[in-house]
Amino acid sequence: MLNDLQLNSILEDFDIAYWKINLFSREIHWSNHFSILVGDPEIEEDRFEFFINHILHPDYRYDFRIHFEKLIKENEPFSFEIRLKLENGKYRWFECKNQKSRNNDFRETAVLLFVNIHQSKRDQYTIEENFFYYRETAEMTSTGGWYVDTVNKNIYWDDVTLKIVECPRDFQPAYKDRMKFYAEEHHNRMRNAFDKCENFGIPFKLELKMVSFQHREFWVRLTGKPVYNNDQEVVGIRGVLQNIDENKNNELNLQNSLDIIATQNSRLFNFAHIVSHHLRSHSSNLSLIVELLRESKSDRDKLDLLANVEDVSDNLDSAISRLNDIVSVQTSLKKEPVRIRFEKALEVVLASISSLINRENAKIVAEFQDLKEIRYIPEYLESILLNLITNAIRYKQPGRKPVIFIQTYTDNDKEYLEVSDNGMGIDLDEYGEKMFGMYKTFHPNNPEAKGIGLFITKNQVEALGGSISVSSTLDIGTTFKIKF
Amino acid sequence: MGQTVELACIIDDDKIYVNLVKKIIEIKKLSENLLIYKNGKEALDYFKEIMENTTDENKLPDIIFLDLNMPVMDGWEFLNEFIKIKNKLNKKITLYVVSSSIDPRDLERAKSFNLVTDYLIKPIELKKFEKIFEKTAA
Repeated sequence: MLNDLQLNSILEDFDIAYWKINLFSREIHWSNHFSILVGDPEIEEDRFEFFINHILHPDYRYDFRIHFEKLIKENEPFSFEIRLKLENGKYRWFECKNQKSRNNDFRETAVLLFVNIHQSKRDQYTIEENFFYYRETAEMTSTGGWYVDTVNKNIYWDDVTLKIVECPRDFQPAYKDRMKFYAEEHHNRMRNAFDKCENFGIPFKLELKMVSFQHREFWVRLTGKPVYNNDQEVVGIRGVLQNIDENKNNELNLQNSLDIIATQNSRLFNFAHIVSHHLRSHSSNLSLIVELLRESKSDRDKLDLLANVEDVSDNLDSAISRLNDIVSVQTSLKKEPVRIRFEKALEVVLASISSLINRENAKIVAEFQDLKEIRYIPEYLESILLNLITNAIRYKQPGRKPVIFIQTYTDNDKEYLEVSDNGMGIDLDEYGEKMFGMYKTFHPNNPEAKGIGLFITKNQVEALGGSISVSSTLDIGTTFKIKF
Repeated sequence: MGQTVELACIIDDDKIYVNLVKKIIEIKKLSENLLIYKNGKEALDYFKEIMENTTDENKLPDIIFLDLNMPVMDGWEFLNEFIKIKNKLNKKITLYVVSSSIDPRDLERAKSFNLVTDYLIKPIELKKFEKIFEKTAA
């Protein structure tokens, strides 16, 4: 058996101090270690009261008295945590517990142990604190953790991951279904990264689209690192998953806006040059006339030149009014799109060009049953129809009665309008690229061609996010296809 | 004034401009004859026909004034086609690009063609016209 000295030194090593209490006299004896811990104070009053008033943290006074009474009167084990002021004046955590006496009948003394638990208490706090920060960070950045056991084919998701993927809290993802949570177009990327990590231990960091439990697509940033067993074999992959949908969408929107601004800017730049070019060609003619007027000797020459001034003036006037048409494409963009019936828009257009239709004896066939209406700016739709129909009539095949077939439909959730004619057609190999350019005309000997209609049509279609394409066969006809 | 140019050629769709230049050439007696085409294709067709059918170099112009913005075949397309046949034409032809475009990109692009002597911005002054014709005739 150990003697008291040996026992004391063992207890000291474990940082355990104790009181020995005489149950009859209530006299308290402090172990050597206890005295040293609390700084070996000079005690004149009652030892218990001194302890309560000067060593025990005030918060625990009440509890301590209760437990102490219990210790004296009963012989039941207990344990509670208290804080004691040590010789350096600082409070430390102790676990206070009784030593149950084996001999129930003759209890003379009781022992109260003080076990220093400060370190583990602090560790516990640190863990709790870290866990708190981890939770808060995970919630705030919406970052979840995941683990895939590649040996037993199991998937583990933490609460935040479940929340991000919009799963019920008790949801357990099945290994075989894991690809379901990734967007189809990213299956390959995901599988490659996973296989590389599983087979060669290569970590990955991906941005890809996931599909939530509610079938909603969203962007995530996903990292994965291999987990090794003692034999350095990969037995799992773990990582985090961050919901970056908002950021990614902002990024994509920003890129989109940037592209739009860039094209608009270059369009404006071109427009400015075209405007200056077109106005300059008239002003330069005017200045040539002025110079020639100065040089010309005869009245006849002068009169000829004055007639030219009139022509220049007319040309300038129509050039400016055409430029005005282009500018108005941009200004009417401010109008709100509304639901319009194609039939109604066509009626308006046909009424405005009824004389042209009658003169050319044109036949117009419209089939709108597959797509009866659309959300659009009415002025645009009318202008588009007007341009395409008048073009079709203007470039009819000589000797052939112009027939124009107009059709609307949907394909893959996209809305389309097609305008086909049986006109002279156009050599797209030669003119295809310039078809929608400004001031481009293709049919010689057609003084009515101003090279502005299709330019405006394309601008209007694109301004509302659509596109226009053309197919044509010489002497057979042309089809314009608009994707809204 | 010494020699005059035998045959000048204007490729331009602006009728008023063409009339005015015609008048200048008449008044100043800058060229004996004048070819006028209202787009690149018409001019090119003419050159191709000469190349295939005759060797009469008198039917080829000494000087060409080429506009850029024209319907059917614009000045750029004409230049690209003209490069291909120029060496087969048995005559030194001076070519000026004449445009009212002041876009520096047009200027750069025109100068990238070796066969373009210069890029003239409309309006061209009478004196400039005279100088160009004198230089070509000499």
